[in-house]
Amino acid sequence: MRFLVVLIMASLLVAAVFAADSYAARQLLRADPDALPGDAMLLRFAVRRGRPLFEARCAACHGASGTGDTVNGVPDLTDNDWLYGTGRPAEIEKVIDYGIRSRNPKAWNLAIMPAYARPQPNPGDKNIQPLTPGDIGDVIEFLMRQQGRPADAVAVSRGAALFTGHGGCYDCHSLDAKGDSAIGAPNLSDAVTLYGDGSRGALYMSIAYGRQGVCPAWITRASAASIRELALYVYSISHPGTMQNGS
Amino acid sequence: MAAGVLIGLILAGYSLFTARSASTLIVPAEDVALVNQQPVSRADYLALLQTLYGVDLSHATQEQRHKVLDDMIREELFVQRGKELDVASTDPDVRSALVNAVELEIAENAITSQPSEAALRQFFETHQDRYVSEGVMRVRDLVFPASALAELPRDPEALKKAITDAPTLAHLNGRDSGKTKGEEFYFAAKIHLGDELFAAARDLGNGEVSRPIQLSDGIHVLDMEQNRHPVPFGFAAARPQVLSDYRNQAVDKLKLSGESFLRKRANVLIADDLR
Repeated sequence: MRFLVVLIMASLLVAAVFAADSYAARQLLRADPDALPGDAMLLRFAVRRGRPLFEARCAACHGASGTGDTVNGVPDLTDNDWLYGTGRPAEIEKVIDYGIRSRNPKAWNLAIMPAYARPQPNPGDKNIQPLTPGDIGDVIEFLMRQQGRPADAVAVSRGAALFTGHGGCYDCHSLDAKGDSAIGAPNLSDAVTLYGDGSRGALYMSIAYGRQGVCPAWITRASAASIRELALYVYSISHPGTMQNGS
Repeated sequence: MAAGVLIGLILAGYSLFTARSASTLIVPAEDVALVNQQPVSRADYLALLQTLYGVDLSHATQEQRHKVLDDMIREELFVQRGKELDVASTDPDVRSALVNAVELEIAENAITSQPSEAALRQFFETHQDRYVSEGVMRVRDLVFPASALAELPRDPEALKKAITDAPTLAHLNGRDSGKTKGEEFYFAAKIHLGDELFAAARDLGNGEVSRPIQLSDGIHVLDMEQNRHPVPFGFAAARPQVLSDYRNQAVDKLKLSGESFLRKRANVLIADDLR
Protein backbone atom coordinates (compact mmCIF):
# COMPACT_ATOMS: atom_id res chain seq x y z
CA MET A 1 0.00 0.00 0.00
CA ARG A 2 2.76 2.40 0.98
CA PHE A 3 4.67 1.48 -2.17
CA LEU A 4 1.58 2.26 -4.22
CA VAL A 5 1.25 5.71 -2.63
CA VAL A 6 4.92 6.49 -3.36
CA LEU A 7 4.49 5.28 -6.92
CA ILE A 8 1.42 7.48 -7.42
CA MET A 9 3.15 10.47 -5.88
CA ALA A 10 6.22 9.94 -8.07
CA SER A 11 4.05 9.60 -11.16
CA LEU A 12 2.19 12.79 -10.26
CA LEU A 13 5.49 14.59 -9.76
CA VAL A 14 6.80 13.44 -13.14
CA ALA A 15 3.50 14.42 -14.75
CA ALA A 16 3.65 17.85 -13.07
CA VAL A 17 7.21 18.44 -14.28
CA PHE A 18 6.27 17.29 -17.77
CA ALA A 19 3.17 19.50 -17.76
CA ALA A 20 5.17 22.51 -16.57
CA ASP A 21 7.78 21.95 -19.27
CA SER A 22 5.11 21.48 -21.87
CA TYR A 23 3.37 24.67 -20.74
CA ALA A 24 6.64 26.61 -20.82
CA ALA A 25 7.43 25.23 -24.29
CA ARG A 26 4.04 26.41 -25.55
CA GLN A 27 4.52 29.81 -23.95
CA LEU A 28 7.93 30.03 -25.52
CA LEU A 29 6.60 29.33 -28.98
CA ARG A 30 3.65 31.69 -28.66
CA ALA A 31 5.73 34.60 -27.37
CA ASP A 32 7.21 37.31 -29.54
CA PRO A 33 10.84 36.12 -29.80
CA ASP A 34 12.16 39.65 -29.47
CA ALA A 35 10.30 40.09 -26.18
CA LEU A 36 11.69 36.90 -24.67
CA PRO A 37 14.95 38.37 -23.32
CA GLY A 38 12.70 40.33 -20.97
CA ASP A 39 11.07 37.19 -19.58
CA ALA A 40 13.66 35.74 -17.22
CA MET A 41 11.76 32.51 -16.58
CA LEU A 42 11.18 31.63 -20.22
CA LEU A 43 14.68 32.74 -21.20
CA ARG A 44 16.24 30.45 -18.58
CA PHE A 45 14.01 27.61 -19.71
CA ALA A 46 15.00 28.13 -23.36
CA VAL A 47 18.70 28.54 -22.68
CA ARG A 48 18.78 25.37 -20.55
CA ARG A 49 17.24 23.40 -23.42
CA GLY A 50 19.10 25.26 -26.15
CA ARG A 51 22.60 24.50 -24.90
CA PRO A 52 22.59 20.74 -25.70
CA LEU A 53 20.99 21.50 -29.07
CA PHE A 54 23.79 23.95 -29.80
CA GLU A 55 26.37 21.35 -28.84
CA ALA A 56 24.73 18.77 -31.09
CA ARG A 57 24.04 20.91 -34.15
CA CYS A 58 26.16 24.06 -34.14
CA ALA A 59 29.32 23.36 -32.16
CA ALA A 60 30.90 21.37 -35.01
CA CYS A 61 31.46 24.67 -36.84
CA HIS A 62 31.02 27.43 -34.25
CA GLY A 63 32.91 25.59 -31.49
CA ALA A 64 31.53 24.47 -28.14
CA SER A 65 31.81 27.99 -26.76
CA GLY A 66 30.40 29.59 -29.91
CA THR A 67 33.48 31.68 -30.53
CA GLY A 68 33.76 30.58 -34.16
CA ASP A 69 36.86 30.02 -36.22
CA THR A 70 38.60 32.67 -38.30
CA VAL A 71 40.55 30.06 -40.25
CA ASN A 72 37.35 28.78 -41.77
CA GLY A 73 35.31 31.97 -41.64
CA VAL A 74 32.89 30.80 -38.97
CA PRO A 75 31.52 33.82 -37.11
CA ASP A 76 32.04 34.36 -33.40
CA LEU A 77 28.56 34.23 -31.84
CA THR A 78 29.68 35.61 -28.51
CA ASP A 79 30.93 39.05 -29.55
CA ASN A 80 27.56 40.68 -30.32
CA ASP A 81 28.94 41.71 -33.71
CA TRP A 82 26.35 40.56 -36.24
CA LEU A 83 26.99 39.74 -39.85
CA TYR A 84 23.27 39.33 -40.56
CA GLY A 85 20.78 41.56 -38.80
CA THR A 86 21.34 43.20 -35.47
CA GLY A 87 21.24 40.21 -33.13
CA ARG A 88 17.54 40.26 -32.27
CA PRO A 89 16.29 36.79 -31.30
CA ALA A 90 13.88 36.80 -34.28
CA GLU A 91 16.79 37.47 -36.65
CA ILE A 92 18.92 34.74 -35.08
CA GLU A 93 15.95 32.40 -35.38
CA LYS A 94 15.57 33.24 -39.07
CA VAL A 95 19.21 32.33 -39.73
CA ILE A 96 18.72 29.01 -37.94
CA ASP A 97 15.44 28.37 -39.75
CA TYR A 98 16.58 29.06 -43.29
CA GLY A 99 20.36 29.27 -43.13
CA ILE A 100 22.84 31.28 -45.15
CA ARG A 101 23.40 30.31 -48.78
CA SER A 102 21.83 27.00 -47.79
CA ARG A 103 19.89 26.75 -51.09
CA ASN A 104 16.68 27.21 -49.12
CA PRO A 105 14.62 29.79 -51.02
CA LYS A 106 14.18 31.82 -47.83
CA ALA A 107 17.86 31.73 -46.87
CA TRP A 108 20.06 34.81 -46.71
CA ASN A 109 21.72 34.51 -50.07
CA LEU A 110 21.77 37.94 -51.61
CA ALA A 111 25.51 38.33 -51.85
CA ILE A 112 28.83 36.52 -52.11
CA MET A 113 32.34 37.90 -51.88
CA PRO A 114 33.61 37.80 -55.49
CA ALA A 115 36.99 36.26 -56.34
CA TYR A 116 38.69 39.23 -57.99
CA ALA A 117 41.73 37.22 -59.08
CA ARG A 118 39.60 34.89 -61.19
CA PRO A 119 38.44 35.50 -64.75
CA GLN A 120 34.82 35.55 -63.60
CA PRO A 121 34.78 36.93 -60.05
CA ASN A 122 31.08 36.22 -59.47
CA PRO A 123 29.45 33.76 -61.85
CA GLY A 124 26.08 35.13 -60.76
CA ASP A 125 26.90 38.72 -61.73
CA LYS A 126 28.67 39.24 -65.02
CA ASN A 127 29.05 42.98 -64.34
CA ILE A 128 31.75 42.37 -61.73
CA GLN A 129 35.14 42.51 -63.45
CA PRO A 130 38.44 41.10 -62.16
CA LEU A 131 41.00 43.41 -60.57
CA THR A 132 44.73 43.44 -61.24
CA PRO A 133 47.17 42.38 -58.48
CA GLY A 134 48.08 46.06 -58.08
CA ASP A 135 44.42 47.04 -57.73
CA ILE A 136 43.96 44.45 -54.98
CA GLY A 137 47.00 45.80 -53.18
CA ASP A 138 45.55 49.32 -53.37
CA VAL A 139 42.19 48.22 -51.97
CA ILE A 140 44.01 46.51 -49.10
CA GLU A 141 45.84 49.75 -48.30
CA PHE A 142 42.52 51.60 -48.33
CA LEU A 143 41.06 49.08 -45.87
CA MET A 144 44.12 49.39 -43.64
CA ARG A 145 43.54 53.13 -43.50
CA GLN A 146 39.83 52.63 -42.76
CA GLN A 147 40.85 50.50 -39.78
CA GLY A 148 43.22 53.20 -38.57
CA ARG A 149 46.32 51.17 -39.35
CA PRO A 150 49.46 52.42 -41.14
CA ALA A 151 49.04 52.45 -44.91
CA ASP A 152 50.69 53.78 -48.07
CA ALA A 153 48.95 57.13 -48.68
CA VAL A 154 49.19 57.06 -52.49
CA ALA A 155 47.86 53.50 -52.64
CA VAL A 156 45.08 54.47 -50.21
CA SER A 157 43.72 57.09 -52.60
CA ARG A 158 43.88 54.67 -55.54
CA GLY A 159 42.25 52.00 -53.36
CA ALA A 160 39.49 54.39 -52.29
CA ALA A 161 38.70 55.12 -55.93
CA LEU A 162 38.54 51.42 -56.68
CA PHE A 163 36.46 50.66 -53.59
CA THR A 164 33.89 53.28 -54.45
CA GLY A 165 34.26 52.90 -58.20
CA HIS A 166 34.76 50.11 -60.67
CA GLY A 167 35.80 47.55 -58.03
CA GLY A 168 32.18 47.70 -56.92
CA CYS A 169 33.09 46.95 -53.27
CA TYR A 170 30.85 49.78 -52.01
CA ASP A 171 27.84 48.04 -53.44
CA CYS A 172 27.85 45.53 -50.57
CA HIS A 173 30.24 46.98 -48.00
CA SER A 174 28.86 50.55 -48.36
CA LEU A 175 30.87 53.65 -49.22
CA ASP A 176 32.47 53.92 -45.76
CA ALA A 177 33.33 50.17 -45.67
CA LYS A 178 31.14 49.71 -42.61
CA GLY A 179 29.28 46.85 -44.28
CA ASP A 180 25.60 46.06 -44.55
CA SER A 181 24.00 43.60 -42.18
CA ALA A 182 20.93 43.38 -44.42
CA ILE A 183 22.95 41.27 -46.85
CA GLY A 184 25.68 39.91 -44.59
CA ALA A 185 28.45 42.18 -45.89
CA PRO A 186 30.97 42.53 -43.06
CA ASN A 187 32.12 45.82 -41.61
CA LEU A 188 35.66 46.20 -42.98
CA SER A 189 36.56 49.21 -40.89
CA ASP A 190 36.56 47.54 -37.48
CA ALA A 191 38.89 45.09 -35.79
CA VAL A 192 36.53 42.11 -36.11
CA THR A 193 37.68 39.70 -38.80
CA LEU A 194 35.69 36.85 -40.22
CA TYR A 195 38.49 35.19 -42.20
CA GLY A 196 42.10 35.19 -41.10
CA ASP A 197 43.99 37.49 -38.81
CA GLY A 198 43.27 40.81 -40.52
CA SER A 199 46.74 40.93 -42.07
CA ARG A 200 47.37 42.11 -45.62
CA GLY A 201 47.88 38.46 -46.64
CA ALA A 202 44.53 37.42 -45.20
CA LEU A 203 42.77 40.34 -46.89
CA TYR A 204 44.46 39.41 -50.17
CA MET A 205 43.12 35.86 -49.91
CA SER A 206 39.57 37.12 -49.37
CA ILE A 207 39.65 39.69 -52.17
CA ALA A 208 41.54 37.52 -54.65
CA TYR A 209 39.79 34.20 -54.13
CA GLY A 210 36.40 35.19 -52.71
CA ARG A 211 34.31 33.95 -49.80
CA GLN A 212 30.89 32.42 -49.51
CA GLY A 213 30.32 30.73 -46.17
CA VAL A 214 27.32 28.49 -45.65
CA CYS A 215 25.08 27.90 -42.65
CA PRO A 216 22.55 25.09 -43.10
CA ALA A 217 18.79 25.58 -42.82
CA TRP A 218 17.36 23.66 -39.89
CA ILE A 219 13.67 24.32 -40.43
CA THR A 220 12.97 20.86 -41.78
CA ARG A 221 15.45 19.16 -39.46
CA ALA A 222 14.51 20.56 -36.07
CA SER A 223 11.23 21.40 -34.38
CA ALA A 224 10.05 24.99 -34.08
CA ALA A 225 10.59 24.72 -30.32
CA SER A 226 14.18 23.52 -30.73
CA ILE A 227 14.95 26.33 -33.14
CA ARG A 228 13.56 28.95 -30.77
CA GLU A 229 15.54 27.45 -27.88
CA LEU A 230 18.68 27.47 -30.00
CA ALA A 231 18.08 31.08 -31.03
CA LEU A 232 17.71 32.15 -27.42
CA TYR A 233 20.77 30.20 -26.40
CA VAL A 234 22.78 32.00 -29.09
CA TYR A 235 21.27 35.29 -27.93
CA SER A 236 22.30 34.49 -24.36
CA ILE A 237 25.93 33.78 -25.24
CA SER A 238 26.13 37.00 -27.22
CA HIS A 239 24.59 38.98 -24.37
CA PRO A 240 26.31 37.49 -21.31
CA GLY A 241 24.67 40.02 -18.99
CA THR A 242 21.20 38.93 -19.97
CA MET A 243 21.14 35.79 -17.88
CA GLN A 244 22.75 37.35 -14.81
CA ASN A 245 20.42 40.33 -14.90
CA GLY A 246 17.45 38.16 -15.64
CA SER A 247 16.25 40.84 -17.97
CA MET B 1 -23.06 -10.37 -22.47
CA ALA B 2 -24.36 -10.85 -26.00
CA ALA B 3 -25.89 -7.39 -25.94
CA GLY B 4 -22.54 -5.92 -24.90
CA VAL B 5 -20.75 -7.65 -27.76
CA LEU B 6 -23.40 -6.48 -30.18
CA ILE B 7 -23.14 -2.86 -29.03
CA GLY B 8 -19.34 -3.11 -29.32
CA LEU B 9 -19.59 -4.44 -32.85
CA ILE B 10 -22.06 -1.72 -33.86
CA LEU B 11 -19.79 1.03 -32.46
CA ALA B 12 -16.74 -0.46 -34.14
CA GLY B 13 -18.60 -0.75 -37.47
CA TYR B 14 -19.89 2.81 -37.20
CA SER B 15 -16.49 4.25 -36.51
CA LEU B 16 -14.93 2.12 -39.26
CA PHE B 17 -17.27 3.40 -41.93
CA THR B 18 -17.54 6.99 -40.75
CA ALA B 19 -13.91 7.56 -39.75
CA ARG B 20 -12.37 10.80 -41.01
CA SER B 21 -8.71 11.66 -41.07
CA ALA B 22 -7.33 12.73 -37.71
CA SER B 23 -8.25 16.30 -37.06
CA THR B 24 -7.73 18.68 -34.21
CA LEU B 25 -9.35 21.83 -32.95
CA ILE B 26 -6.17 22.99 -31.23
CA VAL B 27 -3.69 25.12 -33.13
CA PRO B 28 -0.16 23.90 -32.26
CA ALA B 29 1.96 26.47 -30.48
CA GLU B 30 4.40 26.75 -33.40
CA ASP B 31 1.60 27.74 -35.77
CA VAL B 32 -0.77 30.66 -36.04
CA ALA B 33 -3.60 28.85 -37.80
CA LEU B 34 -4.74 25.57 -39.26
CA VAL B 35 -6.39 25.77 -42.66
CA ASN B 36 -8.12 22.50 -43.39
CA GLN B 37 -5.68 21.06 -40.86
CA GLN B 38 -2.70 22.48 -42.76
CA PRO B 39 -0.51 24.53 -40.41
CA VAL B 40 0.36 28.16 -41.07
CA SER B 41 3.76 28.61 -39.46
CA ARG B 42 4.28 31.18 -36.71
CA ALA B 43 7.87 31.75 -37.90
CA ASP B 44 6.58 32.65 -41.36
CA TYR B 45 3.92 34.88 -39.79
CA LEU B 46 6.53 36.80 -37.80
CA ALA B 47 8.79 37.07 -40.84
CA LEU B 48 5.93 38.44 -42.93
CA LEU B 49 5.01 40.98 -40.25
CA GLN B 50 8.60 42.15 -40.28
CA THR B 51 8.78 42.24 -44.08
CA LEU B 52 5.49 44.05 -44.63
CA TYR B 53 5.46 46.45 -41.71
CA GLY B 54 8.96 46.32 -40.23
CA VAL B 55 7.59 45.45 -36.80
CA ASP B 56 7.82 42.54 -34.41
CA LEU B 57 4.77 40.92 -32.89
CA SER B 58 4.66 43.05 -29.78
CA HIS B 59 4.78 46.27 -31.79
CA ALA B 60 2.34 45.25 -34.50
CA THR B 61 -1.12 46.78 -34.39
CA GLN B 62 -4.19 44.56 -34.25
CA GLU B 63 -4.96 45.58 -37.82
CA GLN B 64 -1.47 44.61 -39.03
CA ARG B 65 -1.68 41.26 -37.27
CA HIS B 66 -5.06 40.50 -38.80
CA LYS B 67 -4.02 41.60 -42.26
CA VAL B 68 -0.93 39.36 -42.27
CA LEU B 69 -2.83 36.40 -40.87
CA ASP B 70 -5.61 36.89 -43.38
CA ASP B 71 -3.12 37.07 -46.26
CA MET B 72 -1.47 33.85 -45.12
CA ILE B 73 -4.79 32.04 -44.77
CA ARG B 74 -5.78 33.23 -48.23
CA GLU B 75 -2.47 31.96 -49.64
CA GLU B 76 -2.91 28.58 -47.97
CA LEU B 77 -6.46 28.28 -49.35
CA PHE B 78 -5.25 29.04 -52.85
CA VAL B 79 -2.33 26.63 -52.53
CA GLN B 80 -4.73 23.89 -51.46
CA ARG B 81 -7.05 24.71 -54.33
CA GLY B 82 -4.06 24.71 -56.66
CA LYS B 83 -3.24 21.18 -55.55
CA GLU B 84 -6.84 20.12 -56.18
CA LEU B 85 -6.71 21.63 -59.65
CA ASP B 86 -3.30 20.09 -60.25
CA VAL B 87 -1.90 23.37 -61.55
CA ALA B 88 1.56 21.79 -61.63
CA SER B 89 0.51 19.90 -64.73
CA THR B 90 0.04 23.12 -66.69
CA ASP B 91 1.89 26.01 -65.03
CA PRO B 92 5.63 26.05 -65.86
CA ASP B 93 6.43 28.28 -62.85
CA VAL B 94 4.78 25.85 -60.45
CA ARG B 95 6.57 22.94 -62.12
CA SER B 96 9.89 24.71 -61.85
CA ALA B 97 9.28 25.58 -58.19
CA LEU B 98 8.39 21.96 -57.45
CA VAL B 99 11.53 20.68 -59.16
CA ASN B 100 13.64 23.12 -57.15
CA ALA B 101 11.90 22.20 -53.90
CA VAL B 102 12.42 18.47 -54.46
CA GLU B 103 16.07 19.03 -55.39
CA LEU B 104 16.50 21.04 -52.21
CA GLU B 105 14.87 18.32 -50.16
CA ILE B 106 17.23 15.76 -51.71
CA ALA B 107 20.26 18.00 -51.10
CA GLU B 108 19.46 18.81 -47.49
CA ASN B 109 21.36 15.88 -46.05
CA ALA B 110 24.54 16.99 -47.73
CA ILE B 111 24.14 20.61 -46.66
CA THR B 112 23.35 19.96 -43.01
CA SER B 113 25.91 17.24 -42.41
CA GLN B 114 29.42 18.21 -41.36
CA PRO B 115 32.05 16.12 -43.15
CA SER B 116 34.99 14.82 -41.13
CA GLU B 117 38.36 16.50 -41.42
CA ALA B 118 39.74 13.26 -42.89
CA ALA B 119 37.11 13.29 -45.64
CA LEU B 120 37.86 16.93 -46.44
CA ARG B 121 41.58 16.33 -46.50
CA GLN B 122 41.15 13.38 -48.82
CA PHE B 123 38.97 15.49 -51.12
CA PHE B 124 41.62 18.21 -51.07
CA GLU B 125 44.37 15.78 -51.95
CA THR B 126 42.34 14.26 -54.78
CA HIS B 127 41.49 17.64 -56.31
CA GLN B 128 44.63 19.57 -55.41
CA ASP B 129 44.84 21.14 -58.88
CA ARG B 130 41.77 23.24 -58.00
CA TYR B 131 43.42 24.86 -55.02
CA VAL B 132 46.21 26.96 -56.45
CA SER B 133 46.83 30.68 -56.49
CA GLU B 134 46.49 32.62 -59.72
CA GLY B 135 49.90 33.24 -61.31
CA VAL B 136 51.07 36.83 -61.76
CA MET B 137 53.40 38.24 -64.39
CA ARG B 138 54.84 41.61 -65.37
CA VAL B 139 55.99 41.26 -68.96
CA ARG B 140 56.85 43.60 -71.83
CA ASP B 141 55.84 42.50 -75.29
CA LEU B 142 58.11 44.07 -77.89
CA VAL B 143 57.14 43.87 -81.53
CA PHE B 144 59.41 44.27 -84.54
CA PRO B 145 58.73 44.32 -88.27
CA ALA B 146 59.30 41.00 -90.02
CA SER B 147 62.32 42.52 -91.75
CA ALA B 148 64.13 42.79 -88.40
CA LEU B 149 64.24 39.02 -87.91
CA ALA B 150 67.66 38.65 -89.43
CA GLU B 151 69.09 41.42 -87.27
CA LEU B 152 67.72 40.19 -83.96
CA PRO B 153 70.41 38.39 -81.94
CA ARG B 154 69.81 34.70 -81.35
CA ASP B 155 71.77 34.63 -78.11
CA PRO B 156 69.34 35.38 -75.20
CA GLU B 157 71.80 37.63 -73.39
CA ALA B 158 72.54 39.65 -76.51
CA LEU B 159 68.83 39.83 -77.29
CA LYS B 160 68.09 41.10 -73.78
CA LYS B 161 70.76 43.75 -74.18
CA ALA B 162 69.38 44.78 -77.57
CA ILE B 163 65.82 45.27 -76.42
CA THR B 164 66.73 47.15 -73.26
CA ASP B 165 68.98 49.55 -75.13
CA ALA B 166 66.77 52.36 -76.51
CA PRO B 167 68.93 53.28 -79.54
CA THR B 168 69.21 49.60 -80.62
CA LEU B 169 65.48 49.15 -80.16
CA ALA B 170 64.85 52.21 -82.31
CA HIS B 171 67.29 51.00 -84.92
CA LEU B 172 65.39 47.70 -85.17
CA ASN B 173 62.05 49.59 -85.34
CA GLY B 174 60.98 47.79 -82.21
CA ARG B 175 58.23 49.08 -79.92
CA ASP B 176 56.21 47.98 -76.92
CA SER B 177 52.99 46.46 -78.25
CA GLY B 178 51.10 47.85 -75.23
CA LYS B 179 49.24 44.58 -74.87
CA THR B 180 50.19 44.25 -71.23
CA LYS B 181 50.28 46.86 -68.50
CA GLY B 182 51.94 46.35 -65.15
CA GLU B 183 51.35 43.21 -63.10
CA GLU B 184 48.68 40.97 -64.51
CA PHE B 185 47.09 37.72 -63.41
CA TYR B 186 47.81 34.85 -65.77
CA PHE B 187 44.27 34.73 -67.12
CA ALA B 188 44.42 38.44 -67.99
CA ALA B 189 47.89 38.14 -69.55
CA LYS B 190 46.63 35.22 -71.63
CA ILE B 191 43.73 37.30 -72.93
CA HIS B 192 45.99 40.26 -73.69
CA LEU B 193 48.93 38.37 -75.23
CA GLY B 194 47.05 35.58 -76.95
CA ASP B 195 47.63 31.86 -76.48
CA GLU B 196 50.95 31.55 -78.29
CA LEU B 197 52.72 34.47 -76.63
CA PHE B 198 51.28 33.58 -73.22
CA ALA B 199 52.54 30.00 -73.54
CA ALA B 200 56.03 31.35 -74.21
CA ALA B 201 55.78 33.93 -71.42
CA ARG B 202 54.63 31.47 -68.77
CA ASP B 203 57.87 29.51 -68.95
CA LEU B 204 60.16 32.54 -68.64
CA GLY B 205 61.96 33.25 -65.40
CA ASN B 206 62.44 36.70 -63.90
CA GLY B 207 64.64 38.84 -66.20
CA GLU B 208 64.58 36.34 -69.08
CA VAL B 209 63.61 37.12 -72.67
CA SER B 210 61.85 34.84 -75.11
CA ARG B 211 63.20 33.78 -78.49
CA PRO B 212 61.82 35.89 -81.37
CA ILE B 213 58.29 34.67 -82.11
CA GLN B 214 56.89 35.34 -85.54
CA LEU B 215 53.19 36.22 -85.66
CA SER B 216 51.05 37.81 -88.35
CA ASP B 217 51.67 41.33 -87.00
CA GLY B 218 55.46 41.01 -86.73
CA ILE B 219 58.20 39.51 -84.62
CA HIS B 220 57.53 39.46 -80.88
CA VAL B 221 60.07 39.30 -78.09
CA LEU B 222 58.84 38.95 -74.52
CA ASP B 223 60.82 40.57 -71.73
CA MET B 224 59.78 39.02 -68.43
CA GLU B 225 60.29 41.40 -65.54
CA GLN B 226 58.61 39.26 -62.92
CA ASN B 227 56.86 35.91 -63.09
CA ARG B 228 55.18 34.39 -60.03
CA HIS B 229 53.89 30.95 -60.93
CA PRO B 230 50.67 29.58 -59.40
CA VAL B 231 51.37 28.10 -55.98
CA PRO B 232 49.30 25.27 -54.47
CA PHE B 233 47.42 26.35 -51.35
CA GLY B 234 47.93 24.43 -48.15
CA PHE B 235 44.93 22.60 -46.73
CA ALA B 236 44.28 25.25 -44.08
CA ALA B 237 44.14 28.08 -46.62
CA ALA B 238 41.98 26.09 -48.99
CA ARG B 239 39.66 24.54 -46.40
CA PRO B 240 36.67 26.90 -46.77
CA GLN B 241 36.66 26.31 -50.53
CA VAL B 242 37.29 22.58 -50.05
CA LEU B 243 34.26 22.36 -47.76
CA SER B 244 32.12 24.20 -50.28
CA ASP B 245 33.28 22.01 -53.17
CA TYR B 246 32.88 18.86 -51.10
CA ARG B 247 29.30 19.79 -50.28
CA ASN B 248 28.52 20.72 -53.87
CA GLN B 249 29.81 17.36 -55.03
CA ALA B 250 27.80 15.57 -52.35
CA VAL B 251 24.69 17.51 -53.40
CA ASP B 252 25.23 16.57 -57.05
CA LYS B 253 25.67 12.92 -56.10
CA LEU B 254 22.50 12.96 -53.99
CA LYS B 255 20.55 14.61 -56.80
CA LEU B 256 21.71 11.95 -59.23
CA SER B 257 20.83 9.11 -56.89
CA GLY B 258 17.48 10.74 -56.09
CA GLU B 259 16.72 11.01 -59.79
CA SER B 260 17.82 7.44 -60.35
CA PHE B 261 15.50 6.27 -57.54
CA LEU B 262 12.56 8.20 -59.03
CA ARG B 263 13.22 6.76 -62.47
CA LYS B 264 13.45 3.24 -61.11
CA ARG B 265 10.13 3.36 -59.35
CA ALA B 266 8.35 5.24 -62.14
CA ASN B 267 6.35 3.70 -64.93
CA VAL B 268 7.46 5.72 -67.95
CA LEU B 269 5.95 4.91 -71.33
CA ILE B 270 7.54 6.52 -74.37
CA ALA B 271 5.75 7.06 -77.66
CA ASP B 272 6.65 4.60 -80.41
CA ASP B 273 8.20 7.22 -82.67
CA LEU B 274 10.55 8.48 -79.97
CA ARG B 275 11.81 5.18 -78.64
